[in-house]
Amino acid sequence: MSIEEQIREIMAKITHVEQSIITRESTFKDIKADSLDVVQALAAVEETFGIEIPDEEAQKFENFGDFVSYVERQVPQQERV
Amino acid sequence: MSFEGKLALVTGGGRGIGRAIGLKLAAQGADIIVNFFRRRDAAEQTAKDIEALGVRAEVVRANVGDPAKIDEMFDMIGDKFGHLDILISNAASGVGRPVMDIDVKAWEWTMDINTRACLLCSQRAARLMEGRGGKIVSLSSLGSFLVWPTYAVVGVSKAALEALTRYLAVELAPRGICVNAVGASFVQTEALKFYFEEQLALGNLPITPAGRMVTTEDVANVVAFLCSEEAFMIRGQTIIVDGGFSIGSAAFSLGRKD
Repeated sequence: MSIEEQIREIMAKITHVEQSIITRESTFKDIKADSLDVVQALAAVEETFGIEIPDEEAQKFENFGDFVSYVERQVPQQERV
Repeated sequence: MSFEGKLALVTGGGRGIGRAIGLKLAAQGADIIVNFFRRRDAAEQTAKDIEALGVRAEVVRANVGDPAKIDEMFDMIGDKFGHLDILISNAASGVGRPVMDIDVKAWEWTMDINTRACLLCSQRAARLMEGRGGKIVSLSSLGSFLVWPTYAVVGVSKAALEALTRYLAVELAPRGICVNAVGASFVQTEALKFYFEEQLALGNLPITPAGRMVTTEDVANVVAFLCSEEAFMIRGQTIIVDGGFSIGSAAFSLGRKD
């Protein structure tokens, strides 16, 4: 599963939306993710990929795509499956 | 008051009141474990400032709202240090909403971090305090008995925390552990800005007999006292640090002819 698919699965589980409605252009509001959901998603993604996402970076995410791109940059290539 | 040779864990110890408590205990000789969840940079800065006081500091990341993370944190403390003398249950979070807008998620999030974490941390800490005369201090808020706008779920979590503090005080007493809480009014921290309009906090200034807002150091001073042997006979209490704000001073201020 790609990084994007894994994050989409995490996000959908937290916000109880269909994975299919989460696109790279979706804002957190589109996905019905409130601030608690976002913190939970950050924690779950950090746990899954063994990274830390500082709040200052997370605040810059305007949509799901920004979130995914950030994680893709943090996760070393060799760990990608 | 000396904490030389003592080891203290401060949950939410990177910023605000937790940071002030860590620095205060460190200044009196305690080694400090600084727990944080979201802000590593702040926690590492606090650890650096603590080490500059000549004691040891350790940074540990854990969301105390997650029981598995609490276990991991205490496993680390057990493996690395083998004991603990002081637990400061300070980490807090919450959702600022009127009662009609509080949903299950907001409720559980707040209660898990503000209340359940104190129970789970105390259970694990008590075992590491065996035979050492441990101290546990939890951080409450005047919102446990005063009603503030959008503070409902946090206020309730703090009221439960104070009740838990009493139960812990009694049930951990045979293990030689002293348990108390400190309840503060508005303290100038990042969290204050998160929950309240600055005007609300400042509006209370004229009815605060002490004439200024509570600082993080004011709270840390009382927490440190409760961690000392001098406070041995204080058990299960919530000590209020509010400059006299909560004791009816509003009526007094309004009726004053000067």
